[in-house]
Amino acid sequence: MTIPTAAEPDLTGAQDDQSGSPTPERAESLPARVIRALLTQRIVLLAVLLVLVVVYFMVLGATGYLTAAYDFDYLSAALINAVPLAMLGFAELFVILSGRGGIDLSVGAIVSLAGMIFGFAYGRWGWPLWLAIVITAAVGAALGLVNGILVAYIGFPALIATLATYYAYKSLAVVINNQRPISTKPIQNLYESTARSVELPLIGSWIPNVPKGIFLFLLPTLVVVWLLLARTTYGRRVYAIGTNDVAAQWSAIGVRATRAGAYALSGLISGLVAVVTVGQFASARPDAGISGNGMALPAITIAVLGGVAITGGIGRVSGIVLATVLIVWMNAGIRLAFEGNAGPQYQLLALGVLLVFAALLNGFALRRYGLAG
Amino acid sequence: MSIDLAARDETPASGSEPPAKRGHRVLAPPVTGQEIVLVCVIAVLWIILGFATPAFVSAGSIQPLLGAVAPIALIGIGMTVVIITGGIDVSVGAAIAVCSVITAKLVLVQAGLPLPIALLISIVVGGLLGLLNGVLIAYGRVHAIIITFGTANIFQWISLKLFNSTTVNNIPDTLAALGNGAAGRTFGVPNSFLITVVLVAIAWVYLRHTAGGRHFYAVGGDQLAAELAGVKVRQRVLTAYLLTGLLVGLASCIVVAQGSNLGQNVGAGKELAVIAAVVIGGTSITGGRGSVFGTVLGALLVQTVASGVTQLGWRSELSDLFVGIAIIIAVGADLIRERARRKR
Repeated sequence: MTIPTAAEPDLTGAQDDQSGSPTPERAESLPARVIRALLTQRIVLLAVLLVLVVVYFMVLGATGYLTAAYDFDYLSAALINAVPLAMLGFAELFVILSGRGGIDLSVGAIVSLAGMIFGFAYGRWGWPLWLAIVITAAVGAALGLVNGILVAYIGFPALIATLATYYAYKSLAVVINNQRPISTKPIQNLYESTARSVELPLIGSWIPNVPKGIFLFLLPTLVVVWLLLARTTYGRRVYAIGTNDVAAQWSAIGVRATRAGAYALSGLISGLVAVVTVGQFASARPDAGISGNGMALPAITIAVLGGVAITGGIGRVSGIVLATVLIVWMNAGIRLAFEGNAGPQYQLLALGVLLVFAALLNGFALRRYGLAG
Repeated sequence: MSIDLAARDETPASGSEPPAKRGHRVLAPPVTGQEIVLVCVIAVLWIILGFATPAFVSAGSIQPLLGAVAPIALIGIGMTVVIITGGIDVSVGAAIAVCSVITAKLVLVQAGLPLPIALLISIVVGGLLGLLNGVLIAYGRVHAIIITFGTANIFQWISLKLFNSTTVNNIPDTLAALGNGAAGRTFGVPNSFLITVVLVAIAWVYLRHTAGGRHFYAVGGDQLAAELAGVKVRQRVLTAYLLTGLLVGLASCIVVAQGSNLGQNVGAGKELAVIAAVVIGGTSITGGRGSVFGTVLGALLVQTVASGVTQLGWRSELSDLFVGIAIIIAVGADLIRERARRKR
């Protein structure tokens, strides 16, 4: 069963551009083609920005402007921040792709609540690690499914349903253990196995050490999410319902079940992020996913920056990955360029400007070339 | 009964509608079913809380409650208009931070300026922030939630920069007329709440009975149809965000007036509180339908729950759970009514 979706031509088009083989628009001049690729292919734009950012900070570092070396070891260590960010970006990817104003404001609250459950299961009750992780992921999926049922079956606008569950889950996460974090011995030891950088076997001596969380959580999730979206019928269905709800219904796709599934998957991934965050903090904190601006806003930012159309049906895993790496390495550079509190503040500015810029660019590309990247 | 009326007169009287026959109502009824339900729920809550903790119905408890409702309801006016046009503004929390730190630190502590000037500066700053949102959304033609997520980050940077890593302390009581103290009350009612009531009344009449007000509904109902009917869509959208910004400026003064210190987390999470008040009040998040009166009731309900939870001696964090449930019930009831309408 093949379902013609808007995402299909987009996928093939991107591969053409990346490999440099001639595109259908052979009549265009080279500069025009480059500009077109930059504007319509989000991957190309992100890759160029990423190179610019890294080169810029390396030059700054070489001239002694930065407070520490902006080298590959530093970049590699900074990748630990990419683990929760990219995974929540995938969570938003599913939800936003599923269309009809899909968005999930509750991911941060789910991270907090599922993290507390993990704290209880692993830190208090002494369950084996694998079982605790499975339970945490299941709790996350159940919390996400509540969103899914509200949105897909009852018809709540996603923004409202997830706003409501954000409040509810946040409150439960704080109340469940009387506002206290859980940081027993097993939880503290978890830091070793998730956040610590390790040397890779075989090629490890030539490349910098990489944080363990990348291999234990990010890469498996990345592969599964990619397979799910690009190689299974379920993935095709998500693109289909996001592109055209009614057409999907007439193609005998279970629109409601598919959409509810997207929210459940978002919750499931948030549950896994909860485990990562507990490991990173060496403590299950009730405010892990909601302190400050919370985790939902950065995750949505990553998704939008990665080229996911807020209207649904368009968006790819590779965009999320590149956007995350761009943000993480840019933040890492900013942290070295300013002393004290100014660094995190400029990170906010950079994120905001980047988001507005990307959004305006999307709008411009849509009008100029008639398709969103 | 009001539900039936709402069903017949669902479509707002935008310019695209054929002229209504004499005797038929063009406007939705002045009070919607959702608002009646909200009034009842709030009344029941107050009665229950009054019996459970007699202290709840004392002036010492109601006055701060109304004072806390004021900023949310004020910004809620703007947010209602924004949501009616089919948009959303998640940057108001960060905008509050910018306006209140400028007012508290630069205007009051450092320059020691009087109340009217402080008010003016705060409102102008808020207006500028709103204008930025409005220009980007109306002329960049990008989805509002993305732009305002972006500007929220930028506003937060501005506020943190101004805070310069310290809280603002010893704010003079120049703004006492807007505060929670005795100077901030007229006949026992907080001035901030009175201002809110007056502005809500003006906004209610404007949105309901003037062409300009109806245009907001037209834009939210069907942007293209509104454009074809001669509504200046971009100008309307821009106005909605500008209005929200101006109200943020005013609300920030109330926030500053309510304490002598200002922490760096001022305004955090307020955008969600305002949106919650608006949607509990029955404004449709997809645009084209809503009223500012409902928004005030929504803000009142949220604050009643929060204040009730603390006075019953429960954990204050539990109030968020009830706010979540209130959103689900309020919007769920609206969805069910909507479905019943469509069936007929």
